[in-house]
Amino acid sequence: MNPQIQKLLGKSGEWLASTGPQNAVVVSSRVRLARNLADFPFMTKAGRTQRAELHRLCREQLLGMSSARPFFYIDMEKTDQVDRQLLVERHLISKQHAFGDGSRGVAVSDDEAFSIMVNEEDHIRLQVIRSGLQLRECWREADTLDNALGQHLRYAFSDRFGFLTACPTNLGTGMRVSVMLHLPALKLTDEIEKVFVAAKDMHLAVRGLFGEGTEAIGDFYQISNQTTLGRSEEEILTEFADVILPRLIAAELSARSVLEQERPLMLDDKIGRAVGLLRNARLLSSEEALFGLSHLRLGVAMGRVANLTMSTINRIFLTTQPGHFQRTLGQSLEGEARKAARASYVRQLMTPAAG
Amino acid sequence: MKCDRCNKPATIHLTEIRNGKSLELHLCQQCAAEAGYLQQTHLSMNDMLTEFVKAKTGMSQRDALVCPDCGMKWQEFKETGLLGCPKDYEIFSDQLRGVIENAQRGATHHTGKTPTATVAPEDSVKLRQAELSRLKKDLTDALEHESYEVAAMLRDQIKALEAVPPTH
Repeated sequence: MNPQIQKLLGKSGEWLASTGPQNAVVVSSRVRLARNLADFPFMTKAGRTQRAELHRLCREQLLGMSSARPFFYIDMEKTDQVDRQLLVERHLISKQHAFGDGSRGVAVSDDEAFSIMVNEEDHIRLQVIRSGLQLRECWREADTLDNALGQHLRYAFSDRFGFLTACPTNLGTGMRVSVMLHLPALKLTDEIEKVFVAAKDMHLAVRGLFGEGTEAIGDFYQISNQTTLGRSEEEILTEFADVILPRLIAAELSARSVLEQERPLMLDDKIGRAVGLLRNARLLSSEEALFGLSHLRLGVAMGRVANLTMSTINRIFLTTQPGHFQRTLGQSLEGEARKAARASYVRQLMTPAAG
Repeated sequence: MKCDRCNKPATIHLTEIRNGKSLELHLCQQCAAEAGYLQQTHLSMNDMLTEFVKAKTGMSQRDALVCPDCGMKWQEFKETGLLGCPKDYEIFSDQLRGVIENAQRGATHHTGKTPTATVAPEDSVKLRQAELSRLKKDLTDALEHESYEVAAMLRDQIKALEAVPPTH
């Protein structure tokens, strides 16, 4: 196991450990920038040698970059499968980056506030992630990092199209702003489909827990902007943070108060069953755990569960994911043995809630 | 362009293969619907693109276009959705226009931030190396001439330059 990754294991990143603004609905905010070097082909046409040279060059620049946060660098080819899975679960790299191949790596700040992937779909994918609704803070830091890195790297840029990216859907600013939203009440009131339709009308992408190509598990959804050209970073941010998000948050909160007023028994039943599941299950899959945690999170956010904090839920949330759980156990278990170990682990963490 | 059947503007453009011959069709929404071309809504966008590409194969010069820098073909892009190098945006500018406008809600120009780089990294490395070798040569000269004060000064300059992280 990579010693740098081992250091991460004992804690959660800032975005998950603490609770930012609007945390009842907004789990985390993220801003990501896509950049490519001017003098190299994009990844699809970069051969082995060019790929290695790109990696060497970007890595060198990254390590020399001035940053307020200390950070370290991980070479993906020298990292085992479980560690890669762990980085995906912590939202530090994409699945594509974890399980693709070729020379590639990632710079990660010690507090996990930023990560910079080298040789993903674009040469550089820089992201800043924070707890709750803090998109502007994310952008400010991403902008600073981008400037620091861009001082010594010549980016592929055209006056007309802006930052040139491998896929034209990222062209221009190369910026994707996204939030992870927890929308259990909209699901319980059968209104979640309406949100998807509205999101589509507003040109937003809705994805699952781990981004592109992943399912929405446990009522967690990633919502992001789809257009990157024609509007400045500030305009994209303003529309997303000041117009779109408040509507989505308001919809979820209003669904919660409808449940509270009109169907309190059903609400408490769902929450109670989640507590029951997590405290009593003897065999627990990671999907089941997430499902239970979703309703538990709702209960805590609405003040209907005593003796349990959001950060405990976040902790269970992260440590029951497959990669983390395997590392926590210190051994690789399969099938029923793994489910049994997970159930017993969750029971322990849930004990303070007894009573 | 006007509709093949009436005089309204054509908004639907189709290539039909009949008995091995291709037929270009330009229709307005209404005529296309009447002729039954709009019923295949079960096809995904991707399928439609693939069909479109297939129908065009071997007929269009556009598809045969190759980027001299990276060897990317337009057809390849249609399959993967990914370009091969920055120059592709110039080489395939005609073909990309529609793709970009579709993906970017009609936007055609960048209005956001611009890069900060002023010196290409290769240049800054070269400059630093040239400066270092000049200083080292001067140091050798100074020592040969027993100009120890100058030599000490040069040695400090070399140390300072070498302490800077690469390419700064």
